[in-house]
Amino acid sequence: MMEKPKKTQEEEQSPPQIAAPDGGWGWVVVGSLFFSSALVFGLIRSLGVFFVEFVQYFGESAQAVSWITSIGLAMQQLLSPIAAAASNVFGTRPVVMLGGFLSGLGFILASQATSLLHLYLTMGLISGIGWALIFTPTVASVMQYFAVRRSLAMGLGFTGIGLSSFAFSPLFQYLVEAYAWRGALLVLGGLSFNMIACGAVIRPLGKPNVVLKTENSSKLNKCSSLLSRIYEGFELSLLSHRGFLTYSIALTFFNAGYFIPYVHLVAHSHHIGFTEYQAAAVISVTGVVDILGRVASGWFSDLGKMRMPHMLVVWTGLLGLSLMLIPAAVVYSGLIVVSLMYGFCAGAMTPLAFAVVPEIVGMERMLGALGLLQLIESVGGLLGAPLSGWLKDHTGTYTVSFIAAGSFLVLGTLVTMTLPYFWSCMGPPPPSPPKRKSQDGSIEGGLLTQTLSSNSAPDTLCPLNDIPYSDKE
Amino acid sequence: MPRPRRAQHCCRETALFSMANVRHLILLLLYCDGMNTETTPSPPSDPVFTTRKAVSKEVCFADWATISWHAGQNQVITEELAILTPQNIELLCNLTDIPNNPPNITGYWAKDGQEIENSEETVNRINEQYVLKKTFSIQARDLGNYSCIFRENKAQVTFVLDVPVIKDKRDKPVVSYTRDSVVLECKLKYTPNTWNWYKANNTEKIFNNGNRTKLTILNLSEEHSGKYICSAVFDIKPSESYIELKVLSYTEPLKPFIAIVVEVIVLVTLILLWEKCSKPQHDSSSAGENDVCSEQTTKLTRDESNGVENNTARRRKLDD
Repeated sequence: MMEKPKKTQEEEQSPPQIAAPDGGWGWVVVGSLFFSSALVFGLIRSLGVFFVEFVQYFGESAQAVSWITSIGLAMQQLLSPIAAAASNVFGTRPVVMLGGFLSGLGFILASQATSLLHLYLTMGLISGIGWALIFTPTVASVMQYFAVRRSLAMGLGFTGIGLSSFAFSPLFQYLVEAYAWRGALLVLGGLSFNMIACGAVIRPLGKPNVVLKTENSSKLNKCSSLLSRIYEGFELSLLSHRGFLTYSIALTFFNAGYFIPYVHLVAHSHHIGFTEYQAAAVISVTGVVDILGRVASGWFSDLGKMRMPHMLVVWTGLLGLSLMLIPAAVVYSGLIVVSLMYGFCAGAMTPLAFAVVPEIVGMERMLGALGLLQLIESVGGLLGAPLSGWLKDHTGTYTVSFIAAGSFLVLGTLVTMTLPYFWSCMGPPPPSPPKRKSQDGSIEGGLLTQTLSSNSAPDTLCPLNDIPYSDKE
Repeated sequence: MPRPRRAQHCCRETALFSMANVRHLILLLLYCDGMNTETTPSPPSDPVFTTRKAVSKEVCFADWATISWHAGQNQVITEELAILTPQNIELLCNLTDIPNNPPNITGYWAKDGQEIENSEETVNRINEQYVLKKTFSIQARDLGNYSCIFRENKAQVTFVLDVPVIKDKRDKPVVSYTRDSVVLECKLKYTPNTWNWYKANNTEKIFNNGNRTKLTILNLSEEHSGKYICSAVFDIKPSESYIELKVLSYTEPLKPFIAIVVEVIVLVTLILLWEKCSKPQHDSSSAGENDVCSEQTTKLTRDESNGVENNTARRRKLDD
């Protein structure tokens, strides 16, 4: 099943596109994404156990302690473009392995902290950098390894987050009780080192993009080649790409609304009078359905019945609708039903939100696009939760904040509908290699267009899925 | 309608409990009679505290509670009273709305489930109410559960008289490390005269922090492990709770940590080694080195109808 084209003797003429194996070692990479997302986001979600200990030990307020997670998440998102650029230059494997080392190091240093500032710098800053270096390149690698079953692979990879949220909370509780928070952080640092192993399994599919491009270019002087390396590494040419900009705006809106229920659902349940156990049951049910939604949506979208942007619009529209319905559910059974719908749609949209990127910007620029997207969408995340908190403080109930979250999602859906080639039955034509034709030899450019044009789907087949950039026919 | 009555004594308050049969509203108003045997009776016009003899920590309070109690349910209703100083307390139970409205009913008091001798009274109906009351002198040994019970309809209310209980007890021990510091805390709503901390069943007092509810131990060592008892001293009786402290050495968490790090190193080495070993089979850039390799390459290049391999296939055929 592995149809990797062999490296020919004329390596400088090999195309940047490598066929996606769509199986075989790819599933190992999916496993790597599973563990990485578990150890990054699952870990972040379960840090609440430590916050109680920090508040007691350092005597600080809960808000001051919660900055640790905020810094960590902010670093992870803001540094994504750098992680993508580094992967473009050095390849995914070394970057992810370094990220695993840094994230473990952060926690190990945190175990020696004597003030809250130390925790900000170690758990927040260092580990945050590590997480940034892990997440985006791993996601990009999975997408490189899969073309036809990309969404399913992504969905399966992301189930790690859901499952680890279940497993880590009791585990962390046990660690804190057995070893106090210092020992527990030390053990968690060791656990995070496992992501080095996750990085090690990501076998490169070809030379990193920037290396290829600079090899192919004629020898210019060092200075401009360095600049061009930076430019290529960050894929800044994307900022003039209409589809990319549209999608980044849409993702920002999605992010603004997506996390609000995770933060507010429990409080809302308490607020309208349900007991603690009922509220916890709602969250658990939502989590389970979230996992199911990821896998189901990934599998369904790979069947090719609908184009990926269309599916994304369906799920995000339903998600926005369910968010707006949450305040309307006053009976417990109604709340459960709406939460089920919310959980499923939230899970369903996640793999698609990533998997649709190559269709918009092309496989080549996917890594850089992922990095830039995370950076841009972090704005939504940073604004969304405080805004909804502010709304709650001003109106007294969570109704308005849920409706605001739902409307953010609906806005994002509408913006997604303005994507280029959205209303057509087939996907966008493969992007022509921009601006590099002048630099490269005509042979390479010719090979490139020949490869890509052979991959573009025949125009007559209407409901075909996104174009798999492979040599399969 | 219960009203606080300020009389000669310190804020005189009476515990009043009103019970009704059908759709009841029970008002509970607590009065505590702060008359202490030590003080001299004060003239009526004197303000409250000047007559007290150095017992300035004495607390008088009024506690209102509204509970609904439906007919047919034989619940035992409980009310907790925190007693800080030895005092006289008047407990009052008020029953309303009994069917048939008998002219009088009998009621008695019980302490800790045992009927108090000679406490049975016949209560007359006054203004549709039956009021049963009794004054108790509470010293340290008198703390317990006091119940007023009406014989006819078995209605019962229990007052729990006790020193304030230190809640929020951790059932898991507090864990800390050598050369670190730890703060042990016992939380209580009321302020006692003083706090005392003891270690591990010895009667020897080790730290006396006065009014502090927290015990700070610096520069921990393994001998500090054990049970610590915090004692909130009130006039009537001290209220106690315990916290367990466990001091670990740094090697404790290092063991699982080292184990995990070793596992990671082994994994990474295995993964990279495996890839290196299986690499020569994929490496086909040097043609002719491996017969199987070049065979595969030519086979694949022939299968490809278009794309990259065309040129290379032509070149290979030329080379062969």
